[in-house]
Amino acid sequence: MDTLPLAASGGDAGPLSAAELRRLYSLMVAVRHLDTSAIAWQRQGIIPGYAPELGQEAAQVGSGYAVDTTRDFVFPTYREMGVARTMGVDMVGYMSTHKATWHGGLYDPAASRLAPIQAVVGGSVLHAVGWAHGQTLAGPADGKLGVALTYFGDGASSQGDVHEAMNFAAVMKAPVVFFVQNNGWAISVPTERQVAGGSVAARAAGYGMPALQVDGDDVVAVVDATRRAFAHARAGHGPVLIEAMTYRRGPHSTSDDPGRYRSLDEERDGAGVDPLERLRQRLLADGIADEAFFAEALVAAKAEEEQIRTGIQALGPRPGAEMFDLVFQETTPALQAQAAHWREESEHV
Amino acid sequence: MAELSFPLPDLGEGLIEATVLEWLVAPGDQVERNQPLVEVETTKSAVELPSPQAGKVVRIHGGPGDRINVGEPLIVFEVPDNTAGIVGTVPTEEAPKRRVRLSAVLDED
Amino acid sequence: MSNSILESGTPGTEAAATVMSMQQALNRALDEVLAENPKTVIFGEDCGRLGGVFRITDGLQAKHGTQRVFDTPLAESGILGMSVGLAMAGFHPIPEVQFDGFAYPAVNQIVCQIARMNYRSRGTLPMPITLRVPSFGGIRAPEHHGESLEALFAHVPGLKVVSPSNPHEAYHLLKYAATRPDPVIFMEPKSRYWQKGEVDTDSADAGGGAPTGAKVMREGRHLTLVAWGAMVARCLQVAELAAEDGIEIEVLDLRWLKPIDAASLAASVRKTRRAVVVHEAPLTSGLGAEVAQLITQACFSTLKAPVERVTGFDVPYPSGDLEDEYIPNIDRILFGIQRVLEYKRG
Repeated sequence: MDTLPLAASGGDAGPLSAAELRRLYSLMVAVRHLDTSAIAWQRQGIIPGYAPELGQEAAQVGSGYAVDTTRDFVFPTYREMGVARTMGVDMVGYMSTHKATWHGGLYDPAASRLAPIQAVVGGSVLHAVGWAHGQTLAGPADGKLGVALTYFGDGASSQGDVHEAMNFAAVMKAPVVFFVQNNGWAISVPTERQVAGGSVAARAAGYGMPALQVDGDDVVAVVDATRRAFAHARAGHGPVLIEAMTYRRGPHSTSDDPGRYRSLDEERDGAGVDPLERLRQRLLADGIADEAFFAEALVAAKAEEEQIRTGIQALGPRPGAEMFDLVFQETTPALQAQAAHWREESEHV
Repeated sequence: MAELSFPLPDLGEGLIEATVLEWLVAPGDQVERNQPLVEVETTKSAVELPSPQAGKVVRIHGGPGDRINVGEPLIVFEVPDNTAGIVGTVPTEEAPKRRVRLSAVLDED
Repeated sequence: MSNSILESGTPGTEAAATVMSMQQALNRALDEVLAENPKTVIFGEDCGRLGGVFRITDGLQAKHGTQRVFDTPLAESGILGMSVGLAMAGFHPIPEVQFDGFAYPAVNQIVCQIARMNYRSRGTLPMPITLRVPSFGGIRAPEHHGESLEALFAHVPGLKVVSPSNPHEAYHLLKYAATRPDPVIFMEPKSRYWQKGEVDTDSADAGGGAPTGAKVMREGRHLTLVAWGAMVARCLQVAELAAEDGIEIEVLDLRWLKPIDAASLAASVRKTRRAVVVHEAPLTSGLGAEVAQLITQACFSTLKAPVERVTGFDVPYPSGDLEDEYIPNIDRILFGIQRVLEYKRG
């Protein structure tokens, strides 16, 4: 499905260059390696839990690649590690949420243009609409609006807030790109038991919003779709919905066991060809990269994971006083009294 | 050389134990980091535990079917002195600790 | 795996007292309720095929069918709103909200609809809905997975609220709640799911009778500790430690957070003349305030000190690393007890 008018949506970026394609590959390898390593970290007691995104690297890297971090703002769920990495977010700060250091992560959301990690399914989709409407209210500096990119999944598409967000955005012509990663599963419930009609993108028509359904495992297609959607929204034409069709190859989280609700055969059929392997084959076929490049990318990914792992292991607990200090901008006497009690009665003074 | 014990981490959300299904290494084996050590089953799922580090296996705890509590030793490695102590640990269920002593004159009026 | 009803046999064929985890006790109670009342239906996110993320409904769909136990789309407001209609159609819904913090999107349906429908319809449309909510903290989980919502729900006219502290209580309180004609919020202490304990399936309380009120879990004569959910086990530890210092503490498991068993509170504190209430929820407007008022009302003239509260703080529930700083620990409870013991009338 593609109801985004072509005439109105010509992005200013041309086709991806060879260097950009190699860059996308390097990003996807870095994300893949960090993601699979994080599962090992959990099994090794380094972090208490993690929500892997195995199989969604193309959807995440491709969409994150279209973001202009000087003027756009991204609203992630808890499974957007690949987007964060692509946007250049500090990954120790990002992964700290999975170490149970701080719920939203320790990176600076305002500076990095990535909202705090969101644990509530569908929780931040309306926030994106509000931020985007703020861009309209403030007026574009150069005739081009900052765009809000909001992520959610097929499961979240069932939440009432997601309907409200799309309706608001369409009514207000807010510069929002709704990016659905339809990964086939909401924990144990498959898309056909979740999304009536089988497509989230089809719902856009009801809001008078253009929509694109894209092969979410083809990183080039994802970059192209997201760039087109950004151009449309940036020009003041209103929101766009992108449904990236992909597959959650791993468990929902490190406490999940997919063997209880899907067979290995179903997994193999549903997952299709690995998005990373697809890009590799494409780069080889087009003569853009060779085995030496791939090997180098993996070495870099391993070195990066090593560094992030070291950073995560070195991360101690936050001072308990932060519990009290960060509740308000202007604290209250009652809260200060509780903090004083805590200081006196706790060992972590 | 130093000995380094790897305690069973909490593999789910608030789980307290796991059952050993199969050991994939034996005492004396030299293992690499991330090499599969053991398959265990919790009430939520069966998982393979990758080694937290490289080293020689000194001891393993529990045979197939044995239950191990979270926080109890699962495997002990021999490692060079300078790499001991880099592994994260999980909080263990300990006997109640206290600092505070109660004192009162309890009149029975 | 041995945590499902499929392996633990047909209900009622085992000896009355068995050792099981709270997860198994809840699973067994639900199995029996499904068998006893054909109008019972269980549903929620991942409740069916997966058996719930905590495996509380494990094996129930396989045994009772997809009509009785089913997965819903991912929408808490939808789950609770649908429960209203099912109840109107004569069913007894036992919906699950997967984690405490996910109840917030459903608050509109719980507060504005479920709690009021009986009243609005002048008693013609009762709401026999048992909403199971894995609750409270202690498992180093992500945000919105460690909340204590009892005061919020107890404040709403038309709802009843209950929380079990161990497998025995879990079995009996769930069976009882699931046969009530009114809506009950059933708050399961998720940090206690896997702890085992003896369950006497024949009898809820000594002397028989329904598990309707509070329960003395340990007798003592110097001070009453009032708690519920996961805090009961911690208070029992504290009582053990206090005994070393010669202080005999009575531990009262409130069980029902609405209605609160004011008579049992009064009876205990009339005897001990001192009380400390312990909860994980934040201090301000927490249920501890209600408990303190009920005790003061009934025991004002005999109290030796004001009722003390040892609670979580008025801060958002923290990430795992700071959980132990937030949840009342043994020392903080002992400090609270000491403040009561040394109180001097001014």
